[in-house]
Amino acid sequence: MSVLAFTILALALTGPVPALLARASWPLRAPRAAVVLWQAVALAAVLSAFSAGLSVVALLADGGPAGWPLRLAAAAMFALTVVIGVRLAAAVVSVAVGTRRRRAHHRMVVDLIGACPRDDVRVLAVAQPMAYCLPGMRSRVVLTEGALRVLTESELAAIMRHERAHLRARHDLVLEAFIAVHTAFPRVVRSGSALSAVRLLVELLADDAAVRATGSRPLARALVACASALTPAGAMAAGGPTTVIRVRRLAGPPNSRLVALAAYLAAAAVLVVPTIAVAVPWLTELHRLLAG
Amino acid sequence: MARLNRLGDLERAVMDHLWDTGVPQTVRQVHDGLCARRELAYTTVMTVLQRLARKGLVAQIRDDRAHRYTPVNGRDELIAGLMVDVLGEATGPGGRQAALVHFVERVGAEEADALRRALDNLDAKQHSD
Repeated sequence: MSVLAFTILALALTGPVPALLARASWPLRAPRAAVVLWQAVALAAVLSAFSAGLSVVALLADGGPAGWPLRLAAAAMFALTVVIGVRLAAAVVSVAVGTRRRRAHHRMVVDLIGACPRDDVRVLAVAQPMAYCLPGMRSRVVLTEGALRVLTESELAAIMRHERAHLRARHDLVLEAFIAVHTAFPRVVRSGSALSAVRLLVELLADDAAVRATGSRPLARALVACASALTPAGAMAAGGPTTVIRVRRLAGPPNSRLVALAAYLAAAAVLVVPTIAVAVPWLTELHRLLAG
Repeated sequence: MARLNRLGDLERAVMDHLWDTGVPQTVRQVHDGLCARRELAYTTVMTVLQRLARKGLVAQIRDDRAHRYTPVNGRDELIAGLMVDVLGEATGPGGRQAALVHFVERVGAEEADALRRALDNLDAKQHSD
């Protein structure tokens, strides 16, 4: 009964699996593989939800289950699948449009009032040490005068590497996908924990790029200098104290290839096993029809 | 690309002039102000002002004799707006989190202490290596 199997799988991939993954500490030592695993889980969750819906359609087309309560349940599930699909598509579009509009406006203002020491670098007249990047086709790395004043040359180099790693690897696109899922299903599934986990992981990836170039100490010092100067006004920023996790990690054990390998295998399994589970019954059915 | 950069420079120069003078300016006044430093066509200045108006950065005031232009926001207001974006205080449809990629998020006093301890640990570890 593939409907039941896909439903269970979809529920597992949207509930307990992300909860476990969000609590695990191994992703700190294999951030790239962990991002891939998160993507695989999210994709598999969406696919199995749709597969469940499609199986219901197949069931209804076949004449449907006996009795009206089952028929009603099947119809409701199909409707749910359609709703999920529409919501997801709408969220993808609205996040993409909103992000680009906001980013374009931000870049326009930065270009207008920021000093321009290099092509894609802008410096804002702000006392607090800060650094961020504007991803996209015409990307920018934005620093504040505070950052130039407080940070040493090697710390600044570490930050620049970090930001350029974000821009080059288009980490914003990875985040955007998870933001879209979270926008579509803010409460129903564990999309919030997925989003904050992936947000931390892309920071770790950029941190690793900076460490490769400058070593861990300048990066850690830059992190602390920038974070300590940003006084919290009102509520804490979403995601919690990830900066602490990042600095602790820089002092901790290095990335593990073994952990990464295991995570890649898990990601492959999450995607491949359900696919085979769909394909094999269809193929046997096809074989039966052709042979008969 | 070079053309785009020049246009960007011009927009900056025009905005700087409007901000520095502090009173609504006619195209002629902006042109005179900028020509002290460089050769510029009157029509170029007009085009730039119209572009800035389209972007919502300057407002057009209709006078009896001539159009005057004034900045919609002060420099400080624009910077404050950027900071609202950066610190994630902005709300709006979707996308508010992916528009920028932050280097660090804001931390409280407790986290700041934890940060310094973590940094000390890193320093200690690298000294012992």
